[in-house]
Amino acid sequence: MSKSKAYVSSVGMTPIADHWDYSILDLAVQAARGALKGSTIKKPDQIIVGNMFSAVGAKQEHLGAMVATALGLTGTPAYKVEAACSSGGTAFNVGYNLVRSGAIDSALVVGVEKMRDLEPEDISAALAMAESAEYTQFVGATFAALNGLLARYYMEQMDVSRDELSSIPVIDHANAVTAEHAQFRKAITPEVVGRSAMIADPLRLFDCAPVGDGAAAVLLVNDNAASGSRRRMAEVLEGRIATNDFSLYEREDMLDFKSTRLAFKKAMEQAGLAPSKLSMVELHDAFSVVGALSLEAMGFSKRGHGSKDAKAGKYSRGSDLPINTFGGLKARGHPVGATGVYQIAEAYLQLTDRAGKNQVEGAEYAVTQNVGGVDTTAAVHVFGRAA
Amino acid sequence: MSIQHWRIKDRYYRLIGSKCADCGDEFFPPVYTCKGCGSEHIKDKEMPKTGRILTYTQLHEPLPGFEAQTPLYLAVVKLENGARILTQIVDSPPDSVKTGAKVRATIRRAMVDGDSGQIIYGFKFLIA
Repeated sequence: MSKSKAYVSSVGMTPIADHWDYSILDLAVQAARGALKGSTIKKPDQIIVGNMFSAVGAKQEHLGAMVATALGLTGTPAYKVEAACSSGGTAFNVGYNLVRSGAIDSALVVGVEKMRDLEPEDISAALAMAESAEYTQFVGATFAALNGLLARYYMEQMDVSRDELSSIPVIDHANAVTAEHAQFRKAITPEVVGRSAMIADPLRLFDCAPVGDGAAAVLLVNDNAASGSRRRMAEVLEGRIATNDFSLYEREDMLDFKSTRLAFKKAMEQAGLAPSKLSMVELHDAFSVVGALSLEAMGFSKRGHGSKDAKAGKYSRGSDLPINTFGGLKARGHPVGATGVYQIAEAYLQLTDRAGKNQVEGAEYAVTQNVGGVDTTAAVHVFGRAA
Repeated sequence: MSIQHWRIKDRYYRLIGSKCADCGDEFFPPVYTCKGCGSEHIKDKEMPKTGRILTYTQLHEPLPGFEAQTPLYLAVVKLENGARILTQIVDSPPDSVKTGAKVRATIRRAMVDGDSGQIIYGFKFLIA
């Protein structure tokens, strides 16, 4: 089988919110129908669902066949892919490899998460299942705790100030003001971040991505399935997954986001694209410190300089490399298993000039970085305008 | 859950980790494959009970079952053999919990199992 090109031909998404009125299936169907409506393909070859904890959050597994049935697509191969908070990006990567290889010609990738039906402490417990039951959950540590440990280490080792750490959340909120699907559409100042409630010292509430419900869907096609002008599509130039040592505290160097570093390097090399060509990055900043270390792992900032560069304006709207153009995890929101698909839908909107008030003028190439755990799994994809 | 804890009680009570029979690197939690040299010749090894804090946090909203211990002091400790362990710091003045502080292991009640009410014991550390 010779390699075809692969494209994102259409997308759909729900706003990210406390969707009390909608079930996990309601959300998945809304996003999937949005993506199918924009395409001539009404029966994708496969349906791949990215989701982290539906078993806990909605007492529901077997999402693939359930979504297929709801869409009237019974008979279609359908299944769920799980890789913690990188479930969405990983599900997309599975679809991308299948479509690009020619094994199938089209795939509907749906990322969905229902978090809000749980009590806050049960959400923490569900998320913590992405960490070791025996050695991380056993000591009571949440993901906020692990990232608090990481943030202190980062600030002490790299001499990073409170205001510098606050800079990525500030960029996120500024970008979300005009983003219709974003959860928090309000600008904030570094002072707001620095005065917000302490969660896991030194991390405060506004260092942490919020909890929310949402679903995003994208239709992947190759040249056999693509019809009409490619100019309304975004080309998937390459996509890679990599892993790091499972738990943060096992790592020789806690500040080296190895999975992001490896996935980005391989994807860019395979795409044949120099990082300087990139127009924008959708970053997995589940916590402010994670955004900073991700920028460093991809080589955009020198070691220790991710937050410092963000404070200096290097990643703000209008710069050469804007990040999180619809608000990122902090302000667009982070319905965990759906997040990676939201990022890809946002890259598609930018590269097809559909981003409205959030449009990055002349955007040519975009990267999405979706992470599970504390950089334990990373799914990185590179997109360009389709020709 | 109870069986899960019973199975690894020696690891919780005595800090039984791993030692690579080929290169000598030591690890906690235990490993199946040496992170240093890739060897699969791994033996159980009791860890040293002292080390230093690499980083710490004070957690205000811990996992369910730990509410009574809030705020939770958590730290990544580098043991004397180089192994790195995630642990609670207990019975120590809050302002003594600092990067670089010397700590030693102890045994404490870790949690009460939700279903059976069984008390689970495990390692914690205190400022030495």
